[in-house]
Amino acid sequence: MDIEELADLIAQHGKAIYGFCWKLAGNPVDADDLYQETFLRAVEGRHTLDKTRNPKAYLIAIAVGLHRNHRRKLAWRQKIAPVSRLADQDESQPWAISPHTPEDAALSREQQALLLHAAHQLKDKLRLPLYMYYTAELSVEEIASALRIPQGTVKSRLHKARQLLRKAMEVGSGT
Amino acid sequence: MKEDEQWERQLRAVLANDYEPDEKLNKHLIDRMRERKQMKPLRKKRWSAALVTASMLLILSVSAYAATQLYTAPQIAENAGDRLLAEAFASDDALRLEESVVSGDYRFTLHGLVTGAGISDLSQGSEKGYPDRTYAIVSIAKADGSMMPNPRDIEPAEYQESFFVSPLIQGVKPWQANIVTMNGSYTEQVIDGVIYRIIDCDQIEMFADRGAVMAVSSGGPFYSNDAFHYDEATGVVEARSDYSGAAALFDLPLDPSKADPAQAEAYLNELLQPSAEQTGDDEASELPVVVETLRAQLHTAQPIEGIIPESVAEVTYDEKGNIHYSYEDYTAIIPLDELFEEGQTGYSLRYSVSGSDEGYTALLFHRDAQGVITGRIAKLGLE
Repeated sequence: MDIEELADLIAQHGKAIYGFCWKLAGNPVDADDLYQETFLRAVEGRHTLDKTRNPKAYLIAIAVGLHRNHRRKLAWRQKIAPVSRLADQDESQPWAISPHTPEDAALSREQQALLLHAAHQLKDKLRLPLYMYYTAELSVEEIASALRIPQGTVKSRLHKARQLLRKAMEVGSGT
Repeated sequence: MKEDEQWERQLRAVLANDYEPDEKLNKHLIDRMRERKQMKPLRKKRWSAALVTASMLLILSVSAYAATQLYTAPQIAENAGDRLLAEAFASDDALRLEESVVSGDYRFTLHGLVTGAGISDLSQGSEKGYPDRTYAIVSIAKADGSMMPNPRDIEPAEYQESFFVSPLIQGVKPWQANIVTMNGSYTEQVIDGVIYRIIDCDQIEMFADRGAVMAVSSGGPFYSNDAFHYDEATGVVEARSDYSGAAALFDLPLDPSKADPAQAEAYLNELLQPSAEQTGDDEASELPVVVETLRAQLHTAQPIEGIIPESVAEVTYDEKGNIHYSYEDYTAIIPLDELFEEGQTGYSLRYSVSGSDEGYTALLFHRDAQGVITGRIAKLGLE
């Protein structure tokens, strides 16, 4: 794969990969590092990056591997960043104040911050499939393949993550 | 149901990706990619994370003949981007061997060996104060002339044979003194379907009066008693003729005048009787304890503690009869007959141990009286 093809790959999937890295790292500095290292690993990598075979899922799998390998060393500044980023959020961002349906309006900015924070506190076992599903928009099948676990396990982890987040929201909002 | 749907929508809205890399970041990334593309993609590998013990397949049709159509040691080092090492291998100090042995499915070739301080661009002296390093190059080719797969070209989950390549010292237990314990590392490249491995470790010329061999085996990256036999009475190590994988030994014609018995003795004392400080952070020194404990438990059919309940799962089989097992990061694809003898129940005596910051884990297989085989992961404690 030459540089031009890789540049195309960045153009096609850069946003999804970066968003996933951001969620995982919780701060821009580590997100930048993880994002760059993911593509660099793909370039130098041990395995062929075949554009016809779901490069997004492949790149996400690399990011997950890097995250797991370096989670201790990188000292993610995870507890503060998501909330502070939310506070800085431009209010023109659609998700921040413009929910898709009236029902979604039930989540205030504080609740959204609480939800992001709760998601970030989940163990990797639940957090990784959660972000892969909702942020990177991978299918259950793609997640199972990337994490090398059965699809049923992915589904059960997603279910567990949803339950824990809902519980965190209930506790956080005093309901 | 409506509540669940609303919750799902809320999750999608809040967890959706709303960040993107800025242009500068992408430009910087492309520049870095361009730089790396121009570099040789070799990375040193060290042993600190995983240990695999093995039993295995077929054996040995040993024949030795001169290597042909293979690159020489200086060429391999040059290709690896290590000019200093290429010069060292081309110097009069280097042993140019170019000897081959066919064992099992592979042809192993020892190309050369050289010892010195600062003779590699990738040089990093031993942390234990031995600046001199020994470098050797071994190639691994398919005996039938087919191509060895390049790790770049295969999927992560695909099975890839791994090899142990290490000098061994005559008269010293090979599981105690090998490339893993002697601060070793290696880099590897695949050229024209042949793996070329450059290994380095603390210098071995000091052992020239004792004698040394270069051991190569398939079936895992660590020394295996299944592949080699060490006679404690004579101090001689031999490749096992009943090993099911490939195993070979090359004599190393070290210059006896370079032997340094006093230094060798001091080195071995340090290696074999590590200080309390070293045992605290030297994973390699912990591994044999972990493995020996587990091995003893398995051989005496003691219960294995620390099994992760969720990891216990019945294995599946592919059309080749291989067993498949996976749990989180663990994946195993193994022929059934390598795990269990006919009629054998209980735990397989084949297992793998791996380590991380959180401790050591073993991948085990168990067959019950009904013949159902399950894989499982056990967290191992250190005695």
